[in-house]
Amino acid sequence: MRREIYRSQVGHDGTSGMLRIIKEIAFSEDPRDFGYMADNVPCQHACPAGTNIPGYIRCITQNRYGRSYELNRIYNILPATLGRICSRPCEAACRHGEDDLGESVNICQLKRAAADLKPAMHRIKEDLYAPSGKSVAVIGSGPAGIGAAHDLAVYGHNVTLYENMPEAGGMLRYGIPAFRLPRDVLDLEIGNVLRLGVTLETGVLVGHDILLKDLQNKYDAVITTVGCMEPNRLGVEGDELDGVISGLDYMVRTNLGQPVPTGKQVIVVGDGFTAMDCARTSLRLGAESVRINVRATEEYMPVDAHEVHEVKVEGARIYSLVTTHRIHGSNGKVEGIEFLRTRLEDTPDGNGRIAVPIENSAFIMEADTIISAIGQHPKMNLGQSLTMNGQRIGVRPGRFLTSEDRLYAAGDCVTGATNVISALAAGRNVAHEVDELFAGRRRKSLVVRFEPAEQTDREREYDFIKPVPMPTLPVEERFEQADNEVENGYSDAEAKKESLRCYLCSLKYEIDVSRCIYCSMCIDVAPRDCIKMISSVAERPDGSYGEYGETGKWNEVVAIAIDNKRCIRCGQCYDVCPMNCITITKTELVEVDREE
Amino acid sequence: MPKDDHYVIIGNGPAGNCAADTLRKEDPEAKITIISDEKPLYYYKHRVPLYAMGGCEPDDLAIRPYRGYGEKQIRLRLGQRVEKVVPPEKLLYLKHMEKVHYTKLILAVGASARRLPNHAAFAEHLQCLAGFDDAKRVREKLLASSRIVILGGDLISMGFAREARKAGKEVVFILYSSLFWPVSLKEEIRQSVTKRLTSLGVEVVSDAEPVTDVQPAEGGYTVTLPDNSELSADLVFSFFGSVPNIRFLVGSGINTEKGVLVDDLMRTNHEDVYACGDCAQIYNPEFKDYWISVGWGNAEAQGEITAMNLLGREKVIDYQPKEIFEMDGVTIRTSWWKSFA
Amino acid sequence: MTSSVDIVIEICGSAGEGTISAGEVMTRFMSSRGFGIVSFDSFPSEIRGFGKCVAHFRVSSEKVLSPGKYTDVLIALNDAHAITQLSKLRKNGVLIYDSKPPVCHEEDMSIAGWAKPCMTAYGIPMLELANKAAGNAKGRNMVAIGAVAWLFGIDPEAMKAFIETRFKGKKQKIIESNISSFLLGYEWTKNNIPKEDPYTFEGAAPPIPEGEKIIMNGNEAVAMAAMDSGIRLYAGYPITPATKIMEILSKCLGESGGVMIQTEDEISAAGNVVGAGFSGKRAMTATSGPGFALMGEMINLAVMAEVPAVIVNSQRGGPSTGLPTKMEQSDLSAAVNGGTGDSPRVVFAPRDVTDCYKMTVLAFYVAEKYQTPVVILLDFYLSNSIRNIDKPVPPDEAMLSANVFPDDEELDDYQRFKITESGISPRTIPGMAYGMFVDTGLEHNTYGKPVYDGENHLAMTEKRYRKFHTMQAELPPTVETGTEGEVDIGIISWGSSSGAAEEAVRQAQEKGHRIASFHSSTIYPLPEEALKTFSKRCKTLVVAELNHTGQYANLIAPVINREVHRNTMITGLPMASEDILEYIGRFKF
Repeated sequence: MRREIYRSQVGHDGTSGMLRIIKEIAFSEDPRDFGYMADNVPCQHACPAGTNIPGYIRCITQNRYGRSYELNRIYNILPATLGRICSRPCEAACRHGEDDLGESVNICQLKRAAADLKPAMHRIKEDLYAPSGKSVAVIGSGPAGIGAAHDLAVYGHNVTLYENMPEAGGMLRYGIPAFRLPRDVLDLEIGNVLRLGVTLETGVLVGHDILLKDLQNKYDAVITTVGCMEPNRLGVEGDELDGVISGLDYMVRTNLGQPVPTGKQVIVVGDGFTAMDCARTSLRLGAESVRINVRATEEYMPVDAHEVHEVKVEGARIYSLVTTHRIHGSNGKVEGIEFLRTRLEDTPDGNGRIAVPIENSAFIMEADTIISAIGQHPKMNLGQSLTMNGQRIGVRPGRFLTSEDRLYAAGDCVTGATNVISALAAGRNVAHEVDELFAGRRRKSLVVRFEPAEQTDREREYDFIKPVPMPTLPVEERFEQADNEVENGYSDAEAKKESLRCYLCSLKYEIDVSRCIYCSMCIDVAPRDCIKMISSVAERPDGSYGEYGETGKWNEVVAIAIDNKRCIRCGQCYDVCPMNCITITKTELVEVDREE
Repeated sequence: MPKDDHYVIIGNGPAGNCAADTLRKEDPEAKITIISDEKPLYYYKHRVPLYAMGGCEPDDLAIRPYRGYGEKQIRLRLGQRVEKVVPPEKLLYLKHMEKVHYTKLILAVGASARRLPNHAAFAEHLQCLAGFDDAKRVREKLLASSRIVILGGDLISMGFAREARKAGKEVVFILYSSLFWPVSLKEEIRQSVTKRLTSLGVEVVSDAEPVTDVQPAEGGYTVTLPDNSELSADLVFSFFGSVPNIRFLVGSGINTEKGVLVDDLMRTNHEDVYACGDCAQIYNPEFKDYWISVGWGNAEAQGEITAMNLLGREKVIDYQPKEIFEMDGVTIRTSWWKSFA
Repeated sequence: MTSSVDIVIEICGSAGEGTISAGEVMTRFMSSRGFGIVSFDSFPSEIRGFGKCVAHFRVSSEKVLSPGKYTDVLIALNDAHAITQLSKLRKNGVLIYDSKPPVCHEEDMSIAGWAKPCMTAYGIPMLELANKAAGNAKGRNMVAIGAVAWLFGIDPEAMKAFIETRFKGKKQKIIESNISSFLLGYEWTKNNIPKEDPYTFEGAAPPIPEGEKIIMNGNEAVAMAAMDSGIRLYAGYPITPATKIMEILSKCLGESGGVMIQTEDEISAAGNVVGAGFSGKRAMTATSGPGFALMGEMINLAVMAEVPAVIVNSQRGGPSTGLPTKMEQSDLSAAVNGGTGDSPRVVFAPRDVTDCYKMTVLAFYVAEKYQTPVVILLDFYLSNSIRNIDKPVPPDEAMLSANVFPDDEELDDYQRFKITESGISPRTIPGMAYGMFVDTGLEHNTYGKPVYDGENHLAMTEKRYRKFHTMQAELPPTVETGTEGEVDIGIISWGSSSGAAEEAVRQAQEKGHRIASFHSSTIYPLPEEALKTFSKRCKTLVVAELNHTGQYANLIAPVINREVHRNTMITGLPMASEDILEYIGRFKF
């Protein structure tokens, strides 16, 4: 669509005789460029919040922790928090994790490092719009609510957060244990949002202490981000016995400082983050034997391998291919759980597995505590009849608006339980939709920014650096105090070393076809199949470029092209090209203010 | 079968070789390849302790000569490790960076030494003897040693203790009754085992599990028992049976739990991929649990059955035990290994 | 007490990967440590480099004579090419391959996949280490050499110093890149690869030899001999495998005030040489089969006009353009009998690099004294294979004129082509006072005047042939090895194949057989007596040579007058002792 060229002048004027550097920076909204970004910066594309990951990692290498923190915050509001508990979809997509290249960059740990290591006097700056006179109620102060509140406040609207628990945070405070996310870190970052002028009303249950329709009358718009705070029940015989508790209840009560039933022989049913948190918490509360029972196998647990490792290190054991059939007890107290064996079948798309119970395979395991962490759904007591989507709130296609006028919904209450970063991104997006309602147009948009780069910024030897492990507390120290944070965070040296591993995929390497002499010296030095002799390139419906059609015959070659999806930005082609026809361009997705 | 059918078997043990022999007998035309990361030719695993003690040479372990494979037109790729299996593309990726296509694949990768989690802190000081490479690594030191401590054990450890005694070594056997493999020792059998070991001149230590530390000391090692008493040794061995070698299958889409999950026709969840031998995990309805086979005889039988199934001649696995194990004078009627509770 | 070692190593790669240069580093280094070296490289025929390069060399603590047919160690810089060399690797040999190529090999295209179980295969991440060491892929070959150094007990510091001196003069960056690649290859292999094969050079270094050793190939030896003999003009046309002679002499002649002309073709080159010879200056040209054919008439002219000329023919696969980078010995008939008319010429065929030097010095002497063209037959292998030898010392008279000048009496009534008993007529050089004469390609009388009667023609022809009889006394003796006296098998060979024959004889003798070899560095005039004597003592006679019909066997047949077995091969590779042993294996003895 539109390309705008800005000339930005960097350098000194006149007196000292230094060079003036003039760079041509281009901005684009062309779908082909967005398509390029999606393919080529896989981490940013995988992040629901679209965090500029190469950008903030590069700042760490340059010793700019403060700037790195700021860059993060632009996209994900709570870097210190997410840097500890994010589910890291970026790392699964990281190019460094491809089979022949080793392991992903520890992106999340670096985010935390930026938060931990920024200078004490570092201060965030916010660009605020002037007050608009509009007011918005946000129900639920979990990540979605906080995200929404932040952006709405930035847009200049008056925001009130309604929270039924004693403090803000939602699952962040009540679902996640303190040994994974210290309370002071959470308080600080929530505080950074509230200080924008957001009003927080705690201990208020909407639908009980105040009615939804009153909020609809009082405010110009209402957003509900109530999440999934109702645990799924096992639904088997015996699940009401003493000693049987849902995972969510277990964590909420622990985080409220209330006692929870924890015997010596604990069985946890479930394979998600909550199940892991419960297992680890119960160990800290005196359990001697903790067994986690999952329906499928370890391979298909939705938690990452590092989490599973910590659970095992702390002493829990995982049993697979079992599903709950019945709970046994006597005198109202639980004594054991009867399982059926399962076998695995493929999901329709073939990528997942369904565990199917095997007939006549029942056996019993003894237990005095059973924690069932088998998922959550929204607690719907808002008192309004909204169009529902099963147990979740229904929204109009492609939007966050519910069946009611000026009533919006976002986060887990719409999608079902996901993860913090997805909820947070959803919260920000619903805020933009509400703002559009008020302003009549979108006031910010994403563009692709191109800046020419003169150098590769990296050495080839960086590619061989092994991942820096996260230092953790020894197991005995973890149990000394249940709240002791298990992960210690990178030191400055460790963070810098890990940051060197990032290929900086935001750098685009391109051969100028009109100047290339087909000497193929670049192909000779390529470390993998990243530079190709091509006869064609496929075009996708949105106009962006798809797969290259390779050829081995010289008379069919139309160009020698760098396949940026395979490129690891090692810079060797750039060094060796005798025609200097390879350019390096820094490409970033940035949010800019839109004019009328 | 079309001429370019390629049957690939990963594993050069009894399961893999019996499968290969059966396939060749029933299908004279197809291309058959055995891939193994071990270098030696098909060998008798139970003779490994004898080799380790210097009682025989590597060539004495081989079951059949190399040219036998040439005669049967079975290609042997030895010392080549499979790093990745991609069933949707029917491709194997070898460690030295070569792709191999298969029409049908049999996983007969066997098992390697099982190590106890609570030995993790000093695992590097414990020796295992699960296969030829383990033995080769430790042989020189073993021949020079005079006193060895064994933690365990399992079937191989009994044979090993006997060979060590024959070679004149002092042997101390710390018996982990609850973790004995394949079956934890009930009192009657434990006494039987102890008696047998003692009759060989082995010093048996019971009720000292688990050992809390093993550290190098003065050219050998010091073993610390739970009551804080110490034993000295030139070498410390750990024998706790084996675990299937399935780590390379993570992410391949082939279902695994402790081993490769197969049905009673030895099929995995992927069409054209089978598994047999010590690495296969099968649900046994009689015992209401998943099982992994143990022993040479089982592996041979499963190899043959798998080959027949692969060729379309359905042959259901036999749930009855194939072997009565004789552990050095102690008879144990065991069937297959129960997954640990 | 040092142990003995004999290891054949091959490095195989694609053109442009530094295969040959890595081989050169190894051979020259090991030679400087006192080991005996025989090496033979193969290049692709095309100039544009996608073809296969093989640096094949044999390192031994004793003198070795042939490059070895089978290899002990194969280093694969390019899997696709190296796979074709795998059949030559011994059963228990060592394979070194790149364990981390940039792209996964297709099925059966990886050499590691073809390694037999008894071989030892070491995977070194050559590309990755080269990248780590020097930031680019160029150092792969040096990484491989580093791995070889660790695996086979070569002192890395000494080798590092050697590489530094060898690359002196190149850009500092290149030297550093080579050295860091070498050292990283050494270190990585040391830390990651347990040695599992029995090959080693450690403890096998022969004593550093007295006297100066020099490492050179046949071409270099010929060029050196020419300079030591006072060559004043070289004219030539570039042709594989003789071009190197021209390159060396162009530099040397330039420095010493001589003349080097690159002519428009071989006819002109030979013409220049004959012209220079006529004017009394020592001159030489070097060519290969196709060029030699073009020189035919000029050689005839030199024969008839009795002008000295030295023509080197480094034989290659023929006929015509043939196989430019392959070994063959098929120009013998052309050299001896290829002239038109009764056109005898001296033909030498040196047996090894040292002999190349000796016979070239002798060639200039014989050509000048006997006023005749001398053809020196080399071959692709001899031209290119590197040996370490004692530095050749020219004989005192090498630079002196060998001319037979007329005495005063003869000058009085000067007859340039006077009939003499020896056949050598007294010769004046243009520019000398008195002694004017006419020289022509037409048959002539003793004064050089064209004369066509039969009687004169007979007398002149006989005189010209008589020279060949006279020169026998000055030609080097033939060489026989093996069992003395009666033998069951005698092997006659010529040129560089004689090395393989002698090795085969030695190996067979060790097994207790009665067997001997015969070699003559002079092809023509034939050493008739020596041939007859040798033939008499052999029950079975084999002639081993690298051409299809047995050209030498045909040449000596009328002399020895008996049946011979022809061990002929035209595989493009030099003869190996194994080839000869395999051939004679059919004779029960």
